[in-house]
Amino acid sequence: MLLGFGVVTIGLIRLQVAFHDQYLSLSKDNHVRLEVIRAPRGSIYDRNGVLLADSAPSFSIEFRPFPAESISIKRTTQGSAWIAEVAQLTGTDTLKVREAVAKANRTGQAEMLRHNAPFAVRAAIEEMRGELPGLEVHIEPLRRYAHGTVAAHLLGYAAQISEKELELRAADGYGSGDLIGQSGVESGYEDVLRGQDGAEFVVVNAMGKRVTTLSEGPPQLPVAGHDLVLTIDLKVQNAMEEAMAGVDRGAAVAIDPRDGSVLGLVSRPAFDPNEFSLGLSPQRWKELSEGGANPLINRAIQGTYPPGSTFKIVSMLSALRNHVASPTTRLAPCTGRYTYGGRSFGCWKHTGHGSLDFISALEHSCDVYFYQIGPKLGLTPLGDAARDFGFGGRTGIDLPQEKKGLIPSQAWYDERWGAGKWRKGVMLNLIIGQGELLTTPLQLALMAAETGMSGKALRPHVVREIKGVPEFAPERPQHERIAGDPADWQAVREALERVVATGTGTAARVPGVRVAGKTGTAQNPHGNDHALFVCFAPVVDPQIALAFVIENSGHGGSVAAPKAGSVLARVLLADSVYAALHPVARPRPVAAAIQVPDSMEVFGGD
Amino acid sequence: MRLPFRLPPIDWPLAGAAAGLVLVGLLTVYSATSIPGAHEGLWLKQLMWALVAVGAAWLATVLPYRVYDSLAYPLYVVSLMFLVLVLLFGSSAYGAKRWLDLGPIKFQPSELAKIAMVLVLARRMDDPKLNLRKFSHWVAPLLLMLVPFLLVAKEPDLGTSLAFPIILIAMYFWAGMPVTQLLLGLSPVMNIAMFVVTGSIWWFIAALSLMLAWFRPRIAVLVAVLAINGVVAYAMPHIWNGLHDYQKRRIETFLNPGQDPYGSGYQIIQSKIAIGSGGVTGKGYLRGTQKALAFLPMRHTDFIFSVVGEELGLIGALTVVILYALLILRGYRLAATVRNGFASLMVVGLVTSLFYHIMVNMLMTIGLAPVTGLPLPLLSYGGTALIVNGIQIGLLQNVATRRHEF
Repeated sequence: MLLGFGVVTIGLIRLQVAFHDQYLSLSKDNHVRLEVIRAPRGSIYDRNGVLLADSAPSFSIEFRPFPAESISIKRTTQGSAWIAEVAQLTGTDTLKVREAVAKANRTGQAEMLRHNAPFAVRAAIEEMRGELPGLEVHIEPLRRYAHGTVAAHLLGYAAQISEKELELRAADGYGSGDLIGQSGVESGYEDVLRGQDGAEFVVVNAMGKRVTTLSEGPPQLPVAGHDLVLTIDLKVQNAMEEAMAGVDRGAAVAIDPRDGSVLGLVSRPAFDPNEFSLGLSPQRWKELSEGGANPLINRAIQGTYPPGSTFKIVSMLSALRNHVASPTTRLAPCTGRYTYGGRSFGCWKHTGHGSLDFISALEHSCDVYFYQIGPKLGLTPLGDAARDFGFGGRTGIDLPQEKKGLIPSQAWYDERWGAGKWRKGVMLNLIIGQGELLTTPLQLALMAAETGMSGKALRPHVVREIKGVPEFAPERPQHERIAGDPADWQAVREALERVVATGTGTAARVPGVRVAGKTGTAQNPHGNDHALFVCFAPVVDPQIALAFVIENSGHGGSVAAPKAGSVLARVLLADSVYAALHPVARPRPVAAAIQVPDSMEVFGGD
Repeated sequence: MRLPFRLPPIDWPLAGAAAGLVLVGLLTVYSATSIPGAHEGLWLKQLMWALVAVGAAWLATVLPYRVYDSLAYPLYVVSLMFLVLVLLFGSSAYGAKRWLDLGPIKFQPSELAKIAMVLVLARRMDDPKLNLRKFSHWVAPLLLMLVPFLLVAKEPDLGTSLAFPIILIAMYFWAGMPVTQLLLGLSPVMNIAMFVVTGSIWWFIAALSLMLAWFRPRIAVLVAVLAINGVVAYAMPHIWNGLHDYQKRRIETFLNPGQDPYGSGYQIIQSKIAIGSGGVTGKGYLRGTQKALAFLPMRHTDFIFSVVGEELGLIGALTVVILYALLILRGYRLAATVRNGFASLMVVGLVTSLFYHIMVNMLMTIGLAPVTGLPLPLLSYGGTALIVNGIQIGLLQNVATRRHEF
């Protein structure tokens, strides 16, 4: 006990007698201040090293309040002459300056007057420092996105930490004014991208001018965040952005079937992440985050859509692997209608397809053929196949806030309608991709990629490498393969190739490249149908798989397929061949040959 | 000299020291909040709290301590319930949940839990047949301490939570646990601490070998101590290296908040400047000029000792130190003279708790300990703390008035 009080006594004598002079002078003329040295956030590159996002130094103007004892100087900074001059100099309005000064005086903390000030403002302030006490110029990193809206949803954005987040994450070392990732890669890899700020104690004089650093501690140097290399290929991304130009709402995803890496990701409507770096007005924030269009939503992973006939890929594989039918099985001929359980179900082609085998049924997307498969297959095997492909659950992509979608099961219907109180007819809607099914564009692209690889399971991911963390590797898929005999996969792939060659998806044809795909038209109770198309190419050793979902735009074959075709042509053809084929910058889709495709039946139970 | 009336038989030096400290606290709160701006008039509230605290002290004094003895377990259970409540519904500040918002007042359940644990440990260890060498005898108090300790550490409030094991160690010692056993029992903690501080386990191995050679424990104990330390030493680097960088950073900040360059490092420097500039005689009451200190948000709470040091100088600061030393000394003396086992143990627990808080806060203001957010007992502004301190002093006086009871 005496030891403890002894240490305190010695400590007091040390400060108050031995170092008294030093501390007295510090308290008399100067103040000591802690200055944060901001660490730059890691940059983001595409797979070929093209810069997508980085940080650049920018200048901000702050007001630092004076202590209560400095009465005259404090009065000056509250006077209207001072406020008017500062407002004019920084290009902000007087009211804002007045509020900032009042808040600073209340809290004792410096307040931001102007972010990202142009050089002229900064120079003027440095010059006027003597006459405008309290103003300070700070360097802070500004987040820049080199390509604006391109891949905005995938990159996400970083913005200044809000007071609420600050309270939640203060323990992680966040401070006021720090940048924090809010969505996309910026948020998902926040801990990696973010550096560690440094700090130093500086002694400043009454005018706020830096006199010296304090010997109390050497400056703690900032540690920069790690750079990220994404799997994105800017060439693919740009082709997709071009294909999606003019689309009001929708999404597109491109996956490399060889390793599950995401080559491109587009969501419409888009936003420019640079807006957040410069600071948004509350009004602009409202525009972006509210209302029907909601540009901040990443529809590629957060939009859920009925898959329409693209889901017949799952249905066919499930039927084949459960030996419900073989590729050559012929069922009752399609007359345009099919009656089941006392209800009539229509084929999208009202005049009927006639007699078809399984492969032709997928090629022409014949609903009646699939209606007949439905009851034989049953709900559970179909659901199992869908989940094998990655539907009905998160794919595990390394982006935050991915949606699961929905694959209804027996239990799900029992819970919703009561056991036995729902019609078996739901099966007929599900097998053609309608009804309660919900999928994300990412899941659809994953299905196309996995089909292209004859059932190799993939884990989609967007980050390829973290610079300075050699042990980083993308997560592994949850399982190795999707069950199915090679012959089953071969039949599905052949049918899909015929969809593009001679079926409903001819608009996605690319000269000299074997393309396999599937069209889809998803009914939407709130408006026009959504157009869908999924594909992979080349058929042998595929290099790219795509999914396009265009909201409220009509039919998959006429709206979505040509967009996929234009991307495939741009990516798979040599530049010279592409230029020869497309003398004009943007290809005009050939829509004339396309019939009105895909299923149109309505689920009557609702 | 004979007084015309009989003074109540309380411990007057102890009461005098406590009253003196509250008075210094009131004067300093007045000075610290006298600058125009925020917090003006807080000293009046503090005066009100001080009167409430005197009332609480009086209440704690009059009821025979045997009542507390019999209420120990119910009180303990209630305090644990409050600790769970604060984790569920507590108001948070700076990322930690420490207070329950009860309308006009904020209540800090960890304060109550400390007293409740002291009572329950005193009751448990007040047993003529107690033999702390036996496993079953020392493990129960350990578990009784661990529950509130972990709940408070979870808030997270490392500073307050550490009071729990320190109180237990003092009470173990007072109840007759041999020093050798205490040291060997603490060896896994020393193991971790020395690993964290030095980054290697060799220092600890050297220290442990010396200890074992000196104490010569029984074979079973020797094996147990070696086994536990072996597991700890083996697991520590593995666990540490398996953590992500940001997790390590979080633990380091948790252990040493002073590393956090925002705020706390700055506060310590401002505090040192304030105290250091005070010199031997100080700048004079109400004349503290440490400009930046006017911006220190906690100058009337956690950093009140800095204001004393600045305005009243070494003389004033040492006066406060002497008053505290007197308080603690009288407290431990009381524990030594009282005849009842429960009372004696309770006094040791309460005095140790006060001593811990005084040390942590004072060492922080002179820059020798990290910023933990613990107020200075009896001096700092704050209702709950003052009332709890009043109850603690009251319980000591309670024992003092009945010191000859058996």
